[in-house]
Amino acid sequence: MSTKSPTVTLIAVALIALIVGVVIGYMIPKAPTGEVVPKSEYDKVLAENEQLRSKVEELQKKLEAMGAKEITIVIWTIGPDPPSEYRYKNFEIAAEMLNKWLTLMGSNVKVKVEGEFFVRPVEWKEYRNKFYMAAKAGKAPDIYLTGHEDIGFLADNNYIIPLDDYIQEYWDVVYYDVIPTLWKAVEYKGHKWAIPQDTEVRPLYFRKDILRQLGWSEEEIEALPKKIQNGEFTLEDLLELAKQAKDAGLVERGLVHRVKEGYDYFQFYLGFGGRLWDPAQGKMVFTKSAWKKTLEWFHRAVYEYEVISPTQFSGDWDKDFHGPFTQGKTLFLSGGSWHKGEWISKGLLTEESFKENVGFALHPAGEAGLKPVTLSHPLIYTITKQAADRGVADVAFMLITLVTDPHLNANHAIASSHLAILYSEILDSRYTQDWFLKDVAYMLDYTTFIPNHPNWGDYSRVVYESIKAVEGGESPEDAYNYMLSEIQKLGDVFIIED
Amino acid sequence: MKMFRLTGKYLWLFLGPTLTIITIFFIIPVFLTLLISFTDMDYAFEWNWIGLENYIRMLEDQWLPKILNNTFFYVFVTLTCFNVGMALVISILTTHINEYVGSAFRAIWLLPRITPSTVYALLWLWASREDAMSLFNWILGFFGMPPINWRLHQPWLLVILVNGFVGVSFGMIIFTAALKSIPNDFLWAAQVDGASTFQVIRHVELPLIKWPILFVLAYQTLSLLTSYEYILLVTDGGPGFFTTEVWALRSYHLAFAQYGGRVYFGYGAALSTILVVIGLIMSILYLKLFRFRELIIEPKIEVQ
Repeated sequence: MSTKSPTVTLIAVALIALIVGVVIGYMIPKAPTGEVVPKSEYDKVLAENEQLRSKVEELQKKLEAMGAKEITIVIWTIGPDPPSEYRYKNFEIAAEMLNKWLTLMGSNVKVKVEGEFFVRPVEWKEYRNKFYMAAKAGKAPDIYLTGHEDIGFLADNNYIIPLDDYIQEYWDVVYYDVIPTLWKAVEYKGHKWAIPQDTEVRPLYFRKDILRQLGWSEEEIEALPKKIQNGEFTLEDLLELAKQAKDAGLVERGLVHRVKEGYDYFQFYLGFGGRLWDPAQGKMVFTKSAWKKTLEWFHRAVYEYEVISPTQFSGDWDKDFHGPFTQGKTLFLSGGSWHKGEWISKGLLTEESFKENVGFALHPAGEAGLKPVTLSHPLIYTITKQAADRGVADVAFMLITLVTDPHLNANHAIASSHLAILYSEILDSRYTQDWFLKDVAYMLDYTTFIPNHPNWGDYSRVVYESIKAVEGGESPEDAYNYMLSEIQKLGDVFIIED
Repeated sequence: MKMFRLTGKYLWLFLGPTLTIITIFFIIPVFLTLLISFTDMDYAFEWNWIGLENYIRMLEDQWLPKILNNTFFYVFVTLTCFNVGMALVISILTTHINEYVGSAFRAIWLLPRITPSTVYALLWLWASREDAMSLFNWILGFFGMPPINWRLHQPWLLVILVNGFVGVSFGMIIFTAALKSIPNDFLWAAQVDGASTFQVIRHVELPLIKWPILFVLAYQTLSLLTSYEYILLVTDGGPGFFTTEVWALRSYHLAFAQYGGRVYFGYGAALSTILVVIGLIMSILYLKLFRFRELIIEPKIEVQ
């Protein structure tokens, strides 16, 4: 029914040309040749835009057919760190863009986004609970951001819809550009259930100023990440060094780690050569020897070396995690790349003082001969069953496609210190200028994802309880036996290996 | 004059509103909990009936005996030291001194109750921090003792203090009211007969407030049995394995508090069901112990 006047077409083309121009403009200073953008690049962008335009047209026809004047898409996202606000903000930008196009195409339908970006004190736990309750009450959002490890449970229980067909359909628009390992994180039972939103690495941060006071030369300090990468500096050396700093009275603690349940401490297990997932059998893995060593390591760290506080796990984020490290009262912090963004936005550190006094490396190998590790936990956008039932899955997917954009996603990555999900985002001039993101990028070669298994939460809980107990004074043997018996109770979903 | 008794439709008319509320908010939830405890419900909210499996699992759970012990220990100590014991002591002391000073003291004891629980717990955490400058360690330092990590070395002391200070006010208010309503004639008569203050308290006041004591004891037992929020905020059941984990907290942990999104409503409900049973048994025991029937019997003489 839409009859387009030539003027409108002209404006549309002009607008697209403008976008193309802006994109090219951004690329010029960083173009590989340093001079001009090769024509192939230009053609590629043009082709993508043309594709997107035809998709928007199709969508517009569908919307007209639905006969609604305004279509509201409800989106739930979470930080919980405040700088990650673009997880939601980008949708507002995308909706505005989409509405402009629809208007240009002579359509009178509007797409409206509603929803929320949850930050602390709301933690993951409450956020997830809220979603499940809402979904059962028929009040689920249409787009739900969550951690990729939830996919198994969400898919098995019909909370979300598979997106293979959509991804196929829009492949050439943007999805060819997604860094391929990330697709692994959204796959479950042979389907893709979500679109990656961001990813990160979890570095071991250390204070350069403390090392200087210990008499390290600048060269030695700069070489530490490299030594860790080569496996020359192990978790044993970490304990020794932390103790050295503590004994010298330079710090109050040697190492701080997260104060709530989470996944960071799995890196120590991975460092001792443990495995989490067996792709061939599709089961989670419990490596006995690695867990034994991990629990012993934590026990020694607390009671022999006294470099971790025994009540770290019932501590407070500010007093026991961010505070001690940013004030130089601890040598090491086992954290995530997003913490850099958090410290700077909270004013705990400045960009300069971070550069001056903070170093970062992989989590060291447990012992000589093993590999250093990090962990990535991509967040993902899912489309809920409810959106499909309401018939707005197309619109929701269009919005996700629009926010999966090198420019918009770079907004998020830079503001919150997360890593790029698209190849072209890595080339985004702002991204390349962010030295920190560039410097941690190599860690992705050493990364592991968490299994997308419905029982993953059980594994996580048992490990958390055990490590917390060891730090609280239980013997590593008791903790290990508890761990093993709990894992055995879960039965066939695990491979228990020596 | 015979006591007026409501019968028939008027009886239901008067009881109706309360009965409705009790049914909707108390009785139905108990039955729902019972029903859920026979399923393996999680966040998929499916009613998969699995019979007594949750209860069997409970018997096999190696930590439950410890958690049950913790619960009884926690309830008993907090009740005797604070919710009933301390409440009695404070009520008796503050009613035996100047009225205004007594009221002021009672007002101070109300503070923990009116402070939001998270703020209150944070204050305790702050006061018991492991560094030498925290309130508790500063006091220790004053006596020349080294600082200790209270949450690690004295978790029970901390848990009981935190809960105790909150729990005193309820009993305190009820006992004070009861003590003030004792006719002065009794006290004067006792004093004329040569009773010391202690004897007055022991033989006159305490027997006369037996019923309020029963009520507070029963009520606080039930409320402590099911209370876990302060323990959650202060030690979260730690340190170590389930050192300060009580039954209600275990139920909460299994049913709601999983970072990875895996939950056990069914098993949590089974644990709660056991708690309801324990509560019922305790209540019946108290009623028998205090001869509740005799307390509510109609007076044999006419009081004008």
